[in-house]
Amino acid sequence: MRISDILSTAFLNLWRRKMRAFLTVLGMVIGVASIVVMVSLGIGIRQATVESFAGTGSLTTIRVSSWSYVSSGNGGGSSRQKELNKKAISEFKRISGVEAVMPLVETYGMIKSGNYATDASILGVTKEQAEQFGITLSQGTMPGSGGSTTYEIALGAWTLQNFYDPDTYRQAIDKNGNPKVTTDSRMQLTFDYRNIYRQALIAMDNDDSGEEQTPLGSFYKLRVTGIMDQDNNDFSYYCIMDATQLEKLAKANKDFTNFESGSYNTVLVKVSNIEDVKPVKTAITEMGYGTYSLQDAVEMAEESTKNVQYLLGAIGGVALLVAAIGIMNTMMMSIFERTKEIGIIKVLGCRMDNIAGLFLAESAYIGFFGGALGLGLSFGISVLLNQLLASSGLRSIIPAYLAFGAVGFSIIVALAAGMYPAIRAMKLSPLAAIRNE
Amino acid sequence: MQENTLIDVRNVKKIYRVGTVGIQALRGADLQIASGDICSVIGRSGSGKSTLLNVLAGLEKVTSGEIVISGKHLERMTQAELIVFRQLHIGFIFQSFNLMPYYTALENVALPLSFRGVPQIARLRQAKRMLELVGLETHMKHKPGELSGGQQQRVGIARALVTNPQIVFADEPTGNLDSNTSDEVMRVIIDILREQKKTLVMVTHDSHIASFGDKVIHLLDGRITDVALNEPAPKELTTQNEPNVRETEVNLDA
Repeated sequence: MRISDILSTAFLNLWRRKMRAFLTVLGMVIGVASIVVMVSLGIGIRQATVESFAGTGSLTTIRVSSWSYVSSGNGGGSSRQKELNKKAISEFKRISGVEAVMPLVETYGMIKSGNYATDASILGVTKEQAEQFGITLSQGTMPGSGGSTTYEIALGAWTLQNFYDPDTYRQAIDKNGNPKVTTDSRMQLTFDYRNIYRQALIAMDNDDSGEEQTPLGSFYKLRVTGIMDQDNNDFSYYCIMDATQLEKLAKANKDFTNFESGSYNTVLVKVSNIEDVKPVKTAITEMGYGTYSLQDAVEMAEESTKNVQYLLGAIGGVALLVAAIGIMNTMMMSIFERTKEIGIIKVLGCRMDNIAGLFLAESAYIGFFGGALGLGLSFGISVLLNQLLASSGLRSIIPAYLAFGAVGFSIIVALAAGMYPAIRAMKLSPLAAIRNE
Repeated sequence: MQENTLIDVRNVKKIYRVGTVGIQALRGADLQIASGDICSVIGRSGSGKSTLLNVLAGLEKVTSGEIVISGKHLERMTQAELIVFRQLHIGFIFQSFNLMPYYTALENVALPLSFRGVPQIARLRQAKRMLELVGLETHMKHKPGELSGGQQQRVGIARALVTNPQIVFADEPTGNLDSNTSDEVMRVIIDILREQKKTLVMVTHDSHIASFGDKVIHLLDGRITDVALNEPAPKELTTQNEPNVRETEVNLDA
């Protein structure tokens, strides 16, 4: 038989028993809808998890550190260190997929403004790096090299709010909740905490160990050029200075900053695409460095949401299983009703595989219509759920692969359910045609 | 054995197991049918005539013996091979017509062609020609329920012949018809088959219907007791008069 004849005959056979076909399809619709909605919720949970991580920083940035952990395979392990220097940086740059490399020139200092002071983590970046790594300001401009005695700085998003009186530890905030220190206030930077805490200074004066004391560190005049963007999770905490300037200052205050030029604790590597993260990360790890990217966290989160997804899928799967049994039942009944008809077409020369094909095609139709209508129902439920669950953060997402997969899967399930009845039909005796009732 | 033997039945036995008892439906039947023979198989109920037809058409397996049709051993074929064999060589006319009630006469006749993979337009064209041949060109769009018994059987005949088979098996083709219609239908069958030089094996319990055949095979208790050659009956005599039967011993193998 031609495929077109098998398909049209099978459709006609279904159509002749509309009510039964409809009920069987309905079972499939409910089965498919339940599995699609459940899986869509699972995907929603996963998506929400990934997004919550993506919100904490760039997914395409790899953080490379000189320290790495080497597992010894028995649950234990050791850490090792490999120097992160200019040579390593130029090697990173050569790995394919790497867009930019930025060593984190980072020092800790204190900013003083009048009676108030605050701690500051200062990052040295060039304008180019700021662009590549998405270091953004909410106001002002990026700091440049400044004058001969003043240094330009962009303050961290919360630096102004963090000023306090070092003697009383009272926060520098007026009764309206606004910081007393503003970008226009005069500020000075020091790397020696004794300049800020008088107690520490007194303690030092009373030190009778006889050791020679380091002289007090200097103050540097600051000019605030801008404030970091508070939504930029990777960098908002930092104050930013020009890389060369900061390096100069850090070197001059070596006693307080432990700064070692040309060697870094951390280097940031930016890759072009999310897909590049893994290979680049592997390459750097193989060079002997420790690596971390948000991808790791995302992957771990995905791993943990997987179980939830499986569970949801399984719950939906039960309804589909019931629907599949319904198909089997319908097909068995249909075959018992048509024993004589099957016998007749066997006598008339309908091949066994064609007979099986006719019944499988009927099952496939049920699967197809059930799948397609079930998918439609799922989209409806999904829209409804998203409105009802909007406040809870739960979401139902039906991506294209789920939609097509659902219809395909329901056809496969229907075919599997129709397999046994089709084989039964195939094996029926042609003698049924001869018997006269 | 004749030169043009089409169907060769050699010592065929068929035993049905009913519980622990074996019922012998065929007890060693031998029979040769030549190409173009119009044969009737006659016997009482339980004589084994239906069983003979079933095993000849490959609907049932023989218990022992051989059935060779145009050189092919039916007893060695699987069910799937038998179906293909029927598709290519055999037409079948049923007692209760066995038309598909939801198809029109035309679609019913075209059905066996669809099993052969003939495209719809071609098979409807051939079916139409067959319906014209059996004189039903005016009822092509009718469903079986809208046709008389005689008309339904004529659709059945058209369906059996549409694939241009070598052999047509008929199982009590007039069993569900009244006697006038029976004769009419029999004449349609015999005329067409004779004209197209096809072989017919028809089972009946009615000696009058059997007399339409050129060769009448008598079956009793699972054995072939007699094969009689029949002079082609003059058409005006067929309804009332006893057919002109000449007894022979030809083909009665020892």
